[in-house]
Amino acid sequence: MYGSLMDHYGPTPVMERMSKHGSKIVKVVMNPGQDLFARTGSMIAYEGLIDFNAQPPQLGRIASSWATGEGVPLMTATGQGLLYLADYGKEVIVAQLAGEGLSVNGKNILAFDAGLQWNIERVRGITMLSGMGMFNVVLRGHGWVALTAKGNPIVLDTREAPTFVDTDALVAYTDGLHVQPKRTARLGGLIGRGSGEAFQLGFSGQGFVVVQPSEDERPNLSARG
Amino acid sequence: MVTQFSRGQKAQLSAVTQSTDLYIGVQINAPGEWDISCFGLDTSDQLSDDRYFVFFNQPSSPEGSVRQLGPQQGDSQAFQVNLDRVPTSIGRLSFCAALDGVGSASAIASGCLRIVAGGTEVLRYAFTGADFTSERAVMIGDLYRKGVWRIAAIGQGFQGGLAELIRSYGGEVADEPQAAAPPPLPAAPPRPVHDQRKTAPPAAPPPPAVPPARQQPASGQPGYGASPGQPGQPGYGPPPGQPGQPGYGPAPGQPGQPGYGGQPGYGGQPTPAGQPAYAGAAGGMPGAQPPVPAAGFGGPEPLPSQVQPTQPGALNSLAPYRELPTTGRWTQQNGKLVKVTLGEDALALRGAMVAYQGNIEFDYKSAGLRGLIEGKLTGQSLKLMTCKGQGEVFLAQDAADLHIVELGNSSLCINAKNLLAMDATVRTEVRRIESAGIPGGGLFHFEVSGPGTVVVMTKGSPMTLPVAGPTFADMNALVAWTTGMRVSVSTQVRISRQIYAGSSGEALALQFMGFAGHFVVVQPYEV
Repeated sequence: MYGSLMDHYGPTPVMERMSKHGSKIVKVVMNPGQDLFARTGSMIAYEGLIDFNAQPPQLGRIASSWATGEGVPLMTATGQGLLYLADYGKEVIVAQLAGEGLSVNGKNILAFDAGLQWNIERVRGITMLSGMGMFNVVLRGHGWVALTAKGNPIVLDTREAPTFVDTDALVAYTDGLHVQPKRTARLGGLIGRGSGEAFQLGFSGQGFVVVQPSEDERPNLSARG
Repeated sequence: MVTQFSRGQKAQLSAVTQSTDLYIGVQINAPGEWDISCFGLDTSDQLSDDRYFVFFNQPSSPEGSVRQLGPQQGDSQAFQVNLDRVPTSIGRLSFCAALDGVGSASAIASGCLRIVAGGTEVLRYAFTGADFTSERAVMIGDLYRKGVWRIAAIGQGFQGGLAELIRSYGGEVADEPQAAAPPPLPAAPPRPVHDQRKTAPPAAPPPPAVPPARQQPASGQPGYGASPGQPGQPGYGPPPGQPGQPGYGPAPGQPGQPGYGGQPGYGGQPTPAGQPAYAGAAGGMPGAQPPVPAAGFGGPEPLPSQVQPTQPGALNSLAPYRELPTTGRWTQQNGKLVKVTLGEDALALRGAMVAYQGNIEFDYKSAGLRGLIEGKLTGQSLKLMTCKGQGEVFLAQDAADLHIVELGNSSLCINAKNLLAMDATVRTEVRRIESAGIPGGGLFHFEVSGPGTVVVMTKGSPMTLPVAGPTFADMNALVAWTTGMRVSVSTQVRISRQIYAGSSGEALALQFMGFAGHFVVVQPYEV
């Protein structure tokens, strides 16, 4: 049998803890002692012996923040083998943290090493303006993280200029940036004649912001098996 | 006005500038150190006189017609070229970049070649790592003489490093152990790869003075099996009138050439087994090679077999997604993101802003346009906002593919659902194709006319279909078409959709009749 399906989409050599298979699937090399937190239901395939624990006890402390539906539903994966993850055909970004801190929008987290320091935070300022909560996963340390973005993302350098981002398009940013909500709408914007761009988050400082080319306001399908 | 060149495009230089005193800047944003050099090739495209190889150790040609200026004005490397003073023995100036060390050209986050004449940028050819695979050198663009001076955007990857590139042009690299090879004719026929392998001598051990980073042998790079003189290479074909002379066929080293002895950089590169073959990135031979990422934006995503490993550090990991340098008022950041640099106002679909830098206000666009449109239309309304201020705005909509269209002075008809943004100078008129068969009594669309730029969005990669003979397009997949064609509703190709209960009726095909030069754009998605 020949064809591009067999020729180009077969398994790729194992290189690192996380690598991309194409642009929309992440491959994670699992080893004992190297647990992984992954978005619930994001597993599409695995080889080897891998256990999934949907409600790990470690996550109990942040369960309260899930009550709003805006939280970060995570599962733990343990075992040995190869694990393939994807999130509804979104683009996957694999990043290897080398001591930096990264704050990732809860909607855009796919998986991260359990060895990273992590915390779930509510982004300050947004609640006041839009009435919506926004939960970010703040990761720090040495390890791997996989993010998703709808469409090819862009990385903007906040050292060049203060950067303002539509909250629906925000994927991640360097932890420690100065974040300030900004309102560009005038009074008219609040009574139905808006430009459609009412609130942004302004970032300034030493770091970067990752933005996706889509303002996906629809919540992710949360009903997964 | 900046002329944007795309890969493989060629033009007479006089079409972009009358000046012959040019500043040529090359930008490469990629990890690793890139050596950008200019090869002055003879009329047989060989480096017969190595004094015309302008690089970091030889910053000027003998009479100073080509001078290397070093990094400046945001360019990684810049050259000053005075075409009037280039001797007639030199027929081609080829601008190439070669990676020093490990890595590949696919890691290039962004790059461009630009020509500045008289203080204004007149031409820009932008490329990214998506155009390349594992190559370690890139032939970016050529200025060549064919009657008059012409410019070609090449964007061709090359498997080896700089030393292999020099050899492929017939140049000599110091410490080449091949001192006894016969002097090649300038028009030496190309040798297939396997022949080169037989004749290539064993690699000489590198001299100890060579920095370790330079010793990366290129032999591990697979060559995709293309032979050096493969015909049909876009942009690299032999000039007409010289059949059989491959553009850049590798030639053996030339003994007796002074070469580049004593230059620490290029002495020690071991000769790889076999000259580097031209990579599969030629792209012009579908089916002959594994598919490679297509040139430009919005091309197919990388195949799993082409994914590159990730470097440590969040910024390194994210390097492929870095912001591209601004290349004019509208910059294509990636297939789905467009950056507009404000100064003059721009119009964009409401809610299409994803990020911005600078001091920018977004205003409700309430001028006559809206009244005109929303008064007339029911189905197709354009909800625009004005972006004003100073800075850069990034526009995207629901991860749709974006395409920048420079209108010039011509005009284009665009389906209202496919218009994302435009210059405030663009004139917009609502048009209607009348037919009793269309629901609502007619197909409303916008006729936009320049001067200015519009950004068209499509679901999926569109197809631009030249109208030669009757052309039919499904009304629901239609994106844009040139004005001046005869458009009529085709009754023959009416596709009944009444099998679906509750469907609105039928999808209609529009028939286009026009002369050469007209085209129709359709998307692979029926709204």
